[in-house]
Amino acid sequence: MTGSAEVGPARWARAVGHGLYRSAVVTGVTGVLPAIAVPVAFFGFRFARTWSADLSAPLAVLVLVFVGEIAMTLLWTGAAGWFVVAFLGRPLSRAARWAARRWLGVTVEPRYNPVLPVTRMATGFWWNGYAYHESEREARRRASLDARHHDPQLRRDALWLLVAAVTVLPAAAAPLACLAAGGYLLTQAGLLGCGIALCVVGLAAAPFGWRLLGPLGVRLLGASPRSLGRRVEELEAIRADLTQNQAAELERIERGLHDGAQARLVALGMSMGAAERLVDEDPDKAKQILAQARSSSAAALAELRSLVRGINPPVLAERGLVDAVRALALDAALPVEVRSTVPARPERPVESAMYFAVAELLANAVKHARASRVEIDLDYGERVLTATVTDDGVGGIGAAATEPGGTPPGTRPAGSQQAGSGSAGSGQAGSGLAGIERRMAAFGGVLRIDSPAGGPSRITVAVPCALS
Amino acid sequence: MRVVVAEDLFLLRDGLVRLVEAYGHTVVAAVGSGPEALDALLTHRPDVAIVDVRLPPTFSDEGLQAALAARRQIPGLPVLILSQHVEQLYARELLADERGGIGYQLKDRVLDADQFTDALQRVADGGTALDPTVVAKLLGRPTRVDPLAALTDRERSVLELMAEGLSNAAIAARLFLSEGAISKYTTSIFAKLGIAAADDTNRRVRAVLAYLDGSGA
Repeated sequence: MTGSAEVGPARWARAVGHGLYRSAVVTGVTGVLPAIAVPVAFFGFRFARTWSADLSAPLAVLVLVFVGEIAMTLLWTGAAGWFVVAFLGRPLSRAARWAARRWLGVTVEPRYNPVLPVTRMATGFWWNGYAYHESEREARRRASLDARHHDPQLRRDALWLLVAAVTVLPAAAAPLACLAAGGYLLTQAGLLGCGIALCVVGLAAAPFGWRLLGPLGVRLLGASPRSLGRRVEELEAIRADLTQNQAAELERIERGLHDGAQARLVALGMSMGAAERLVDEDPDKAKQILAQARSSSAAALAELRSLVRGINPPVLAERGLVDAVRALALDAALPVEVRSTVPARPERPVESAMYFAVAELLANAVKHARASRVEIDLDYGERVLTATVTDDGVGGIGAAATEPGGTPPGTRPAGSQQAGSGSAGSGQAGSGLAGIERRMAAFGGVLRIDSPAGGPSRITVAVPCALS
Repeated sequence: MRVVVAEDLFLLRDGLVRLVEAYGHTVVAAVGSGPEALDALLTHRPDVAIVDVRLPPTFSDEGLQAALAARRQIPGLPVLILSQHVEQLYARELLADERGGIGYQLKDRVLDADQFTDALQRVADGGTALDPTVVAKLLGRPTRVDPLAALTDRERSVLELMAEGLSNAAIAARLFLSEGAISKYTTSIFAKLGIAAADDTNRRVRAVLAYLDGSGA
């Protein structure tokens, strides 16, 4: 009862306290760029003016010199701004995202370029996903720098810092400025009233000013809205994958039926025919053949069962994702703990894709990670279904597979080639991950991998969906 | 015995009814959907029921849910669950009330009429009849300290048959050994696994499963 029973003044005091603290943080986060750029501009201009201080020349020349001085000042200011963005853009934007999420519940997902594995091209150069280098060492050393340099998100961060400096910063800093000014006036004789009024305005505004962070952050802190052309490219790749997957699936099912159940049924029919002919002359032999036929029919059933399990696992059809994953965990060769907060069944296609993704991740953990235990968490929140598979294995799972669209154009040409190039550095587990990533991409889902060498590994699959 | 059959495929239901009647039992109700199955189980209180996991109207695990619901109202009501696939998950749910009278078999097992009716009889007597496939999965589960490692191959195969619900005599017949030898093996298994021996087949299975559960993940 503490929250609601709290009396008016106390609640106000708390709101104002929080407001002041948050205003200060938001001011700090958005104020770095102007705090560096404005003094540079100011003193830069003053310094530039000294060049022509004692110059006496015709007016036209003076105007020209003045323009040159302004251009010089702009150059210096731009350089200062560039340094701030290059070195502080990412942490400052991250801090702003943190504040927006923590205090306003606004979640914005940035899309920074991932560091990709280094591969050797046929030309002998080394490609780190963004640039070519002559040696592998150089390519590795420059990998994170190149990823950052070619990052469209960095330009978004710069835009955020610029816009925030003239919008969020004044709004958040105004209450603090009022307080400071009011406090100063209080010390001046005769201005007591003004001082008190300013302080009251500052305190009253404190809980509100910084909230401008929310609406602006939503627009500017996230990933850049992709151009239509880019989106078409991505969709084309996804469609190519889907058609290919579908054809491969059909082929697999056809082969399973043709080589398995169908062949067994033919054999069964032949055995029956033989038994029919023999039943009068050699009843014993006929009985023997019939017994064989029965075991053959049992084998056909077993084959059909395993085929069905690969298409639409029975527990998934009967109980849904959570119990199907539990059943999977029980059958695994490792102790697997399954936790779930998913309240209902997701849409069927998503459910199936998610199930096979988790099955593959679990199989990877068992086969490649040398793990001793695995944990699977299934969660649903904000219309996104996530599955997290954590193991205590050796880690170092290929950083090849990453968020779709997070890679710059050119690194993943299209469709089937993705699997090949994506898994180049990471072997079998990597190609499986690329497959999962492509299947989830069809649903707008993403795959996140956190697997430092030496482990532990944590892989998250997230896909937007509705629950039934 | 009075038997209830719940199976939605007409041919299979018909076949089951004939099979059960051929062995001298009476089929008191043969139904084809989940709600009907629950109704029949509660009104007829059969000596044993044969229930398909997947039934209309939802074609999910209606049959299993009906059986579990009926057993909540009539504890220990003997039910033999048939399915196209066997899952540890479902086996655990069925065995959870520890009252026995539970069968869980692949539909394929119907092909061997003698073994099937034998399993049906064991369930009706309050025992268990688990499909060998699910037993293998249960015993194949990873355990932190593998208590089964201490068992010899022969003891392990005896344990597997025991988990299926077979009596010493039946195990002896399967393995072509004398009953005395089997009882020696079972005593040794119980000693190695640290379970107090009991005559009751049902309790033996429960002891085995409980042990595996407790030492598992």
